[in-house]
Amino acid sequence: MNSSVSNDNGFLLKVEDLKTWFPVKKGLLRRTVGFIRAVDGVSFTIRPGTTLGLVGESGCGKTTVARTIVRLIPATAGRVLFENSDLLMLDKRQLRGLRKNIGLIFQDPFGSLNPRLTVGNIIGEPLKLHKGITGAELTDRVAALLAKVGLSPDHINRYPHEFSGGQRQRIGIARALILEPKLVICDEPVSALDVSIQSQILNLLKDLQQEFNLTYLFIAHDLAVVQFSCDNVAVMYMGKILEYAPARELYRNPLHPYTRALMSAIPRVDTSQRGKREILHGEVPSALNPPSGCPFHPRCPLADDYCRKRSPPLEQKQGPETHLAGCWKC
Amino acid sequence: MSENGTLLSVENLSTHFFTQQGVVRAVQDVSFSVNKSRTFALVGESGCGKSITALSIMRLVPEPQGKIVAGKIIFNGANLLDLSERRMRTIRGNRIAMIFQEPMTSLNPVFTVGFQIAEAIRLHQNKSRAQAWELAEQMLHKVRIPDADQRVTEYPHQMSGGMRQRVMIAMAVSCEPTLLIADEPTTALDVTIQAQILDLLGELQKQNQMSILLITHDLGIVAERADNVAVMYASRIVEVADSRSLFEQPLHPYTQGLLKSRPRLGYTGKRLHTITGTVPEPLYFPAGCKFHPRCPVGCNDKRCQTVEPELRQVAPGRRVACWYAPGYEKPDDPKL
Amino acid sequence: MPLLTRGFHLTDNTQKTVRPPKGVSLWQDGLRRLFRRPLAGICCVVILLYFALAAFIYIAEILHWGIGPTLWGQSTGPSYQPPCSENIFGTDIFGLSVFRKMLYGTKISITVALCASFISIAIGVPLGAIAGYFRGWVDEVIVWFYSTLSSIPYILLILAFAVVLRDKTIAGHKLSGITSVYLAIGLTSWVGICRLIRGEVIKHKEREYVLAAKSYGCTSSRIIFKHLLPNVFHIVIIDFSLRFVSFIHAEIILSFLGLGEADRPSWGAMINDARIELARGVWWQMVAATVAVFFISLALNIFGDALRDSLDPKLRVL
Repeated sequence: MNSSVSNDNGFLLKVEDLKTWFPVKKGLLRRTVGFIRAVDGVSFTIRPGTTLGLVGESGCGKTTVARTIVRLIPATAGRVLFENSDLLMLDKRQLRGLRKNIGLIFQDPFGSLNPRLTVGNIIGEPLKLHKGITGAELTDRVAALLAKVGLSPDHINRYPHEFSGGQRQRIGIARALILEPKLVICDEPVSALDVSIQSQILNLLKDLQQEFNLTYLFIAHDLAVVQFSCDNVAVMYMGKILEYAPARELYRNPLHPYTRALMSAIPRVDTSQRGKREILHGEVPSALNPPSGCPFHPRCPLADDYCRKRSPPLEQKQGPETHLAGCWKC
Repeated sequence: MSENGTLLSVENLSTHFFTQQGVVRAVQDVSFSVNKSRTFALVGESGCGKSITALSIMRLVPEPQGKIVAGKIIFNGANLLDLSERRMRTIRGNRIAMIFQEPMTSLNPVFTVGFQIAEAIRLHQNKSRAQAWELAEQMLHKVRIPDADQRVTEYPHQMSGGMRQRVMIAMAVSCEPTLLIADEPTTALDVTIQAQILDLLGELQKQNQMSILLITHDLGIVAERADNVAVMYASRIVEVADSRSLFEQPLHPYTQGLLKSRPRLGYTGKRLHTITGTVPEPLYFPAGCKFHPRCPVGCNDKRCQTVEPELRQVAPGRRVACWYAPGYEKPDDPKL
Repeated sequence: MPLLTRGFHLTDNTQKTVRPPKGVSLWQDGLRRLFRRPLAGICCVVILLYFALAAFIYIAEILHWGIGPTLWGQSTGPSYQPPCSENIFGTDIFGLSVFRKMLYGTKISITVALCASFISIAIGVPLGAIAGYFRGWVDEVIVWFYSTLSSIPYILLILAFAVVLRDKTIAGHKLSGITSVYLAIGLTSWVGICRLIRGEVIKHKEREYVLAAKSYGCTSSRIIFKHLLPNVFHIVIIDFSLRFVSFIHAEIILSFLGLGEADRPSWGAMINDARIELARGVWWQMVAATVAVFFISLALNIFGDALRDSLDPKLRVL
């Protein structure tokens, strides 16, 4: 790992109060009547060589966070500090340069690969673009990486539709790693895969991380997957982080009622692990009309008047490790 | 009436697809039975044939490419495969109902949900339009949709995924079927909504004395909700057992592998157990036992490579298709 | 940090570089499925015959092979002879073989339709792609433009263009006859393909492979031309085959109305002549032209449908 990584408190990526609001326009004159607060004040840091998990159900904003960080979606406010630069402030040229340090792995193995390009072209294109490498050297590098992700280099001239879902995801991983990025953002990398393939890919991601000292931002909706793959976990709901803790600590001692409900809802095979079911009633509220105060209060079994009025800050609840929760009741 | 007699008995069902590239044997020699008021789970990964099995029971296999080529489906004493299409239509939606994975595409986007439920009711019961509408509202209430009287005039796109799935369930149980086939009913839903939907299905099952054939890939759901389980791999059933025994003591290497490789809360290992290799393509199934190329036990065994094991009973209520399962003859048995 | 990708060569045991096996692209797969249908094959042959004939006549003219009369307006034989063994379709007012005229007309029709197709694709596809990709005001302007253009009745528009272009010159080259015809048709017929491409690009640009390309730094033009267009190009091909027919018909109508080549035979001119001739009971020019148009139109229509079924990746079954 080269030493040009920022040494400010030793983090690789620092997100400060990130907000992504989508305007809602109505009427003949397309007036902005409101905002969908997809990401509403999210902050976290990732140390080099570690994995941060962003977990939450659909619509909580975790994918939007990932896409805002790489500026595929314009941010509304906040800072994203990566290698001493604020990614949100860079101009197009600087951004292009920095983009090669962040790799992205997508969820859908069927939609994330261009069906008209060969595997070699898909994986090799970033290398061609940024480093101008072509010909035999390009082929060799791509072949080497294919072998590293568990595919045969012979497949370099094949097309995506000739592969299974798990193999396509490996191709996606190779594409994300070809430029040797420092940070890899994995957006639900195993959600669309079969169970027996999920474990292969999760192991692969861990192996690659160890071998090349990668840093991951891991996004998923499955708490069990996140607990295995991540060092630290942030639980998101309606655009906000409700709880943040090291993975093992979160499992051992979930503080926020939402986290507890999530864990309780996961069906268990092992009967000894089935505790009392904490069923969450109701649905996720509309993003256009978020609830006042704590965003979780309409569904929270512990909510009271105070929760309805004021939004709780994310603060340290229990030592000695960092364990933050945004709740008045814990 | 016998409390837990057999409601549905599938015997040696085989469904094939005839394509330009060859014959796809999607379902081969599948046999299982569902008891009254019980939940039976059909578990497997994508491409194993479980959805096609469900479609075959409903006789909704897309023709002319697909065809049920062998077997019997005995429902309430009659073989469904012998019935005329007309008779089958009186059973579909009425005695046997089905709910699907993607509620957005299974509901018609241009009709209100009330209309769709009422349509299902009027097809099978002799009710007037007003009565059917009334009943539709009641059904929405029964599936715990808040403000049912207002929601009944809404369109599918105005509802969330969980609500739409409840609407589907309302449509399915509106005629009080004896068998509900649920094809991955919660895969597209969040885990907290999933728990609500599964609880709802459990309640309806108790109220209506309904059997459920649950098709899923999630072993956790199976463990919590199913009474009996059949595990499918590459178009065949490889293990059948009651839910508890299957998870306490899985006999087939595939089931064992699946259970070990699931990421689960509280797991402290550094790596997950994996099943090497990938699911075979339906056009290129391996010879012998279809699982043998990936099997830690049988990949080098001559018999596993050449002869397909049958599904055999090894204990009361337990069947396995594996040469290494207890109760099978040993390789040097003179009978072979 | 050890670099991920060094120290690997695709060589076999003898240290010679081996070529890994080629995969089957979606195009190849589509073509394979297309030609499994016998009808598609037959139609393709018919279409190719017409093209070959047109090419042959071009070459013959350039090389002065003298296969036919050089001046078409001169009296060379008995006029209005009915079909007989010598002239399958009889002769016209000048005694020229109607059959020869029919064959010659192929060259004009194919040329016009081909050139018009290229012009309309060259205008419609980039505009549609840009409108669909950038949206915003670029999209508004382009959509406004083609909506206005397509509100004008098609025939009037073509007529207007043809008449205006008739006596103009471009870079010293006079826009005579068929040049003005295919320019007129091409410049007015790109709206359909533009709309189609715009719709497809809007659908495709939210796909994850496009997001992936953006995320590793592809510029917009690279995304449009390298990623999006190849994935929507099958629409262009299908549209091309169906639109070809309408261009042939457009040429016929224009020739019928007196625009187009004055001194060369074309199917439209033949039908135009037939207006008067039919009153005299001379039906063979009409039939000849109609037969010629009919078979190429039928073949293109069937082939276009077959193309749509085989090339659309979404219709790939099992």
